[in-house]
Amino acid sequence: MSVNRWLATGNFYESYKQEQRIFSTHCERAVFIVFIVALFLWPLLIKTSNTALLVLDEIMIAIIAIIGLNLVTGFAGLISIGHAAFVGIGAYTLAATSRVLGDQHVLLTHAWPLMIFLSGTAGAVFGAFVGLPAIRLKHLYLAIATLSFQMIFQWTINFMSFFNQGQTIPIARVYCFTGMVSRKDHYLFWYYTILIIVVVCGFCVRNLLRTRYGRCLVAVRDNDRAADAMGMHPGLTKVYAFSLSGFFAGIAGALHAYLYRGAGLDSFTLHHSITYLAMAIVGGLGTLAGSFFGPTAIKALDLQVEQLSEWTSVFLPAAMNLATALKPLAFGLVIVLFLIFEPRGIANWWRIIKSYIKLWPFKY
Amino acid sequence: MSYFFQLVVSGIVTGSIYALSALGFVLIYKSSRVLNIAHGQIIAGGAFITYALTVWLKIPIYLSFFISMIITFFLAMSIERIFLRRLIGEPIISIIMVTIGLMSILDGIIYLTPFGTYNLSFPDFFPKRPIIFWGISISWTRMAGVIITFILISLFSWFFKKSPIGVSMRAVSDDQMASMSVGISVPKVFGLAWAMAGMSAAAAGSIIGNITGLNFETLHAFGIAVFPVVILGGLDSIIGAVVAGIIMGLIQQFAAGYLDGNWGLNGTADVLPYIILLIILLFKPHGLFGTHEIERV
Repeated sequence: MSVNRWLATGNFYESYKQEQRIFSTHCERAVFIVFIVALFLWPLLIKTSNTALLVLDEIMIAIIAIIGLNLVTGFAGLISIGHAAFVGIGAYTLAATSRVLGDQHVLLTHAWPLMIFLSGTAGAVFGAFVGLPAIRLKHLYLAIATLSFQMIFQWTINFMSFFNQGQTIPIARVYCFTGMVSRKDHYLFWYYTILIIVVVCGFCVRNLLRTRYGRCLVAVRDNDRAADAMGMHPGLTKVYAFSLSGFFAGIAGALHAYLYRGAGLDSFTLHHSITYLAMAIVGGLGTLAGSFFGPTAIKALDLQVEQLSEWTSVFLPAAMNLATALKPLAFGLVIVLFLIFEPRGIANWWRIIKSYIKLWPFKY
Repeated sequence: MSYFFQLVVSGIVTGSIYALSALGFVLIYKSSRVLNIAHGQIIAGGAFITYALTVWLKIPIYLSFFISMIITFFLAMSIERIFLRRLIGEPIISIIMVTIGLMSILDGIIYLTPFGTYNLSFPDFFPKRPIIFWGISISWTRMAGVIITFILISLFSWFFKKSPIGVSMRAVSDDQMASMSVGISVPKVFGLAWAMAGMSAAAAGSIIGNITGLNFETLHAFGIAVFPVVILGGLDSIIGAVVAGIIMGLIQQFAAGYLDGNWGLNGTADVLPYIILLIILLFKPHGLFGTHEIERV
């Protein structure tokens, strides 16, 4: 009997290989492909403002960063309160190049894919370095170690004249096949570039989690002694998780610097580290889908709050800026409510919806 | 030489404030193993309550100091009851994140009040002229702050050593199961630990507010600044918090006094604690006085 690969009403796996498929049915694969194609096509069909594209670019950069954070915090179970510093290291790799070679150097403008990769590598090196304490420390102490890394990073940028004391260091526009990417096409160009990188990163991580190296992370999170007994090296695994997360963060940072055509300390502070953690939690820790939902949800919330406070500013005295108050309030409430009522995050809703559709005429 | 002693004196002043801030942090960690990242916001809240009572309601400062301690006592207790009690037994990341969420919520609430936007300062209660002996000057406010801090710290330590409630709190931090079996209500102790922490935070906030003025940014920065202190002293040791607080204060003052301006360094007082923190975490993670509970992987 051949198995119906288009629709499935339950899990009828016969081998491990079947269970580890990325798409369990052809329908799922088709929907996914249509979705990706739609993501690529819609900017060509619908005229979009640069503001909207900028928001989308920001969300996708955050998605890349969160994929990295999810690897270290969600899958390997190591709390990192210094993720913005890793993102910052990516951005400041570009900034340092721009300071040394001049911001119009060919390496920055023409070889930008190489620079993005290099930034990721720099992030990975620093990640491994920060991950070293993980060999000896657990949980709380590790969280504090990453926090202190964040503080040291901020100080280094803030007080070194090489990094312009934390002020923005300009980075030139990049050149594509057809010539320099103009101001008009800037956001669209980066929309496509970032989208491609997001898709590639997503597939890389999805596949990583199916290999022994990915399973190793989860094993060390669940019980490091058992993992040790089974021949894995927990300490090395943790360092490797950190450097992997640093790699994704570095890429996100480089993209951020290119998108804003500059790197400044304002985007890589402790506050941003906390926001990244919140995105990972709201999306759902330890799920790949969560890394996509979390940033989208938090950014959408931010925009809504901004809209609301703009709307209320008509009724309020001009000196009062409601956005500064409402933003942290809404942000904190969302974190706390998710932790109390839905600790598995939006990814859990996604799972419920998916299984509902899969089994549709039947309840379960 | 008098420069050196001046640095020592101001180091002890800063250090004692660190000690008082770290005390509340350690109390919460010791009893319920919660890393309270929102501590800085509670400190700021306490300072603002004291200011509101003194300046707006015209209550004498020493009275409003105590009233604000009582208010934060109940405030922190309700925070524990509403947010933390539901998360007992959850993984550590949830607990850290809930205090981060709490931090954000308190931030939002404080930004809704005038304190978030304006820089206010307490009226002067003490003579403006600093006390000067042997060429070392110290302002009356700082002097009073240090004295109050030491009185409060000794009161707190007495409370934990001798009073029945303090003994039961120590029992819970030692072994929750055993203390439950002898009839101690563990959740109540958690609530009480938060309440005491809130109290000490309000005291710390009022003292800092008197010394540096009421700037929300500076006040809540203390919540992060206590991390190096508590790690140096050991996360669960009250004596450690006091000793490490003073050591950290001295280190910061010496760094600011001797390192800054030389060799192109600047603002080292802000970063040195964290470098020390990393070194301690690598070589002696339980700190100077903490219990040896770290398991090596």
